[in-house]
Amino acid sequence: MMSHQPGLFARGSAWVVALYLLLPISIILPVSMTDQRFLSLPREALSLQHYVTVFGSPEWLASIWQSFQIAVVSTAIAVVAGTLCAIGCWRLASRATNLVRALMLLPIIIPSIVYAVGLYRYFAGLDLLDRFMGVVLAHGVTGIPYVVITVSTALAAFDPRLEQAARGMGASLMQTLRWVILPRITPGILSGAIFAFIHSWDELVIVLFIASRDVFTLPRRIWDGINENLDPAMAAVAVLLVVFTTGLLLLDLALRRRRAE
Amino acid sequence: MSAAGHSLALRGLSKRYGSFTAVADVSLDVGQGEFLTLLGPSGSGKTTILMCIAGFVAPSEGAILLDGQDITPLPPERRDFGMVFQGYALFPHMTVAENVAFPLRVRKMGTAEREAKVRAALDLVQLSAFGERLPRQLSGGQQQRVALARALVFEPALLLLDEPLSALDKKLRAELQDELKALHRRIGRTFVNVTHDQEEALSLSDRVAILNHGKLIQQGAPAELYEAPRTRFVADFLGKSNFLAGTVQEVFAGGFAIGAGATRVVTASAELPPLGSQALLSLRPEKMALLAEGETAENTVTGSIASWSYLGAGYALNVATPDFGTLRITLPSWNAPIAPREGLPVRLGWSATASVPVLDDEP
Ligand SMILES: Nc1ncnc2c1ncn2[C@@H]1O[C@H](COP(=O)(O)OP(=O)(O)O)[C@@H](O)[C@H]1O
Ligand SMILES: [Mg+2]
Repeated sequence: MMSHQPGLFARGSAWVVALYLLLPISIILPVSMTDQRFLSLPREALSLQHYVTVFGSPEWLASIWQSFQIAVVSTAIAVVAGTLCAIGCWRLASRATNLVRALMLLPIIIPSIVYAVGLYRYFAGLDLLDRFMGVVLAHGVTGIPYVVITVSTALAAFDPRLEQAARGMGASLMQTLRWVILPRITPGILSGAIFAFIHSWDELVIVLFIASRDVFTLPRRIWDGINENLDPAMAAVAVLLVVFTTGLLLLDLALRRRRAE
Repeated sequence: MSAAGHSLALRGLSKRYGSFTAVADVSLDVGQGEFLTLLGPSGSGKTTILMCIAGFVAPSEGAILLDGQDITPLPPERRDFGMVFQGYALFPHMTVAENVAFPLRVRKMGTAEREAKVRAALDLVQLSAFGERLPRQLSGGQQQRVALARALVFEPALLLLDEPLSALDKKLRAELQDELKALHRRIGRTFVNVTHDQEEALSLSDRVAILNHGKLIQQGAPAELYEAPRTRFVADFLGKSNFLAGTVQEVFAGGFAIGAGATRVVTASAELPPLGSQALLSLRPEKMALLAEGETAENTVTGSIASWSYLGAGYALNVATPDFGTLRITLPSWNAPIAPREGLPVRLGWSATASVPVLDDEP
């Protein structure tokens, strides 16, 4: 007989894993509040000076703003394309659409560095290197899988008779989509949007390849900062990043909970 | 609401899924303002026929005519039929009033007119007080009525109902049956209903079409089907029936006699079978009587009570007979002529008009 209470071992390993996941993040917090002028743990006192530096630095602010813009536009692309793809596959529901759905997951399956190298070659020819539009396209396309997955999951729970009922009452395809299908799958779309946003917000590998000077996202600036000078401002930015992302995930959780009610 | 019923006709309707035939060559006419029920066991193709009429399933063969016009190629949204789905298919994210308003919103009707119609439809199903609720805050019977209101609010040419009452408990079902029937009388529209419940079919419909394995077996008014079933399946599916098998021994004007063992039974019949052929008679349990000492009848059979049950309003006796196996007979329990007891010898009697010859389609 299995007991429903987790055993000591299971409990212990769960905590180890949780700590393993949390420790690297938790070290960032004290480092970001160091009173020293280089990347280190605080010696004498806690200080917010590096946060002040970040918010006073045009470079950091520009990167934050640029990352935000890229994330917003690429999320829009991912949401529209991913939602339409998921709805189309759901309506047609054949072996071919299963293949299409699998294809849509490629950006998750293929290592991003491989993807980035490929993009680099194509974007060179299209004059999209180091362009806002280029990064937006790259992030938008690689964000599609998250939306396809969450929207497909929402659609799987959608009662197909509701669509029949709507059409039987004279609703056109667009009316059915707008009034019946979309309201039922909005939570799935929002979840997908949040993940697509986070994906773009902290994406580094692709940006390293297809952007250089004009497009300088937040992860990119952190990366350069680590390579060039060990400025503790990076730790402050990292904390801000983590806080923002956690906020988005909590929002997703709250939305799901509301849906479950 | 105007009382403009429309007529519907199915002509040689068939639907095949691969090599499987779900509906086989069904032809049917539904008159203006008629309440037709498609009755059959589960899997007999009822829903498929209804879905063909609604336009969600394309027939493999045959045509669907509305007032004589071929509508077979029309998509569902252009047919203007109201439909109550199995399980109702109410929009869970809309209130009752929004659900009912949906077909009007689709038709871009003005707000004032729309609200008036929604109110009238909710009045019709006695749910005026529930407009602001969500479907999940309603009981099954109330949801069913919302589905009815939603299907009727746009004054459809035809109302299609797929097992509208099957999800409800017995008492509620009986109540809503009465309501549905009254509603049909009041608005005078053409209804096509699907059910596997023979009582519901008998009590609601002007006409019943009985289906089995995708084929139309017999259609007619409920009483006609009950009193004159053409096949063993119909007699068995609509109500209960005894079946008497024997050889035709004598044919006379308006009937014939069959013999089985030492027993001879006469039946009225319009069609007369050849002498010596095998015949099967359907005999309803309530059309036999227990005979007292010295009492006679056109047909009599002796036997003994094998088992019996008390049904409140009546008794059901299973009487073992030497030549016809076990015969079921029901009698009123009020002033019953005997106190039933196992092994009690009894004599059963019935008239020649009580039985009907049927085709043996289910060996
Ligand atoms: N889409 C389909 N594909 C294959 N077989 C189907 C499909 N729809 C219905 N059938 C089959 O057709 C037969 C009739 O189904 P249905 O019309 O739903 O019966 P009923 O409503 O009388 O219970 C059943 O045997 C069912 O399995
Ligand atoms: Mg059915």
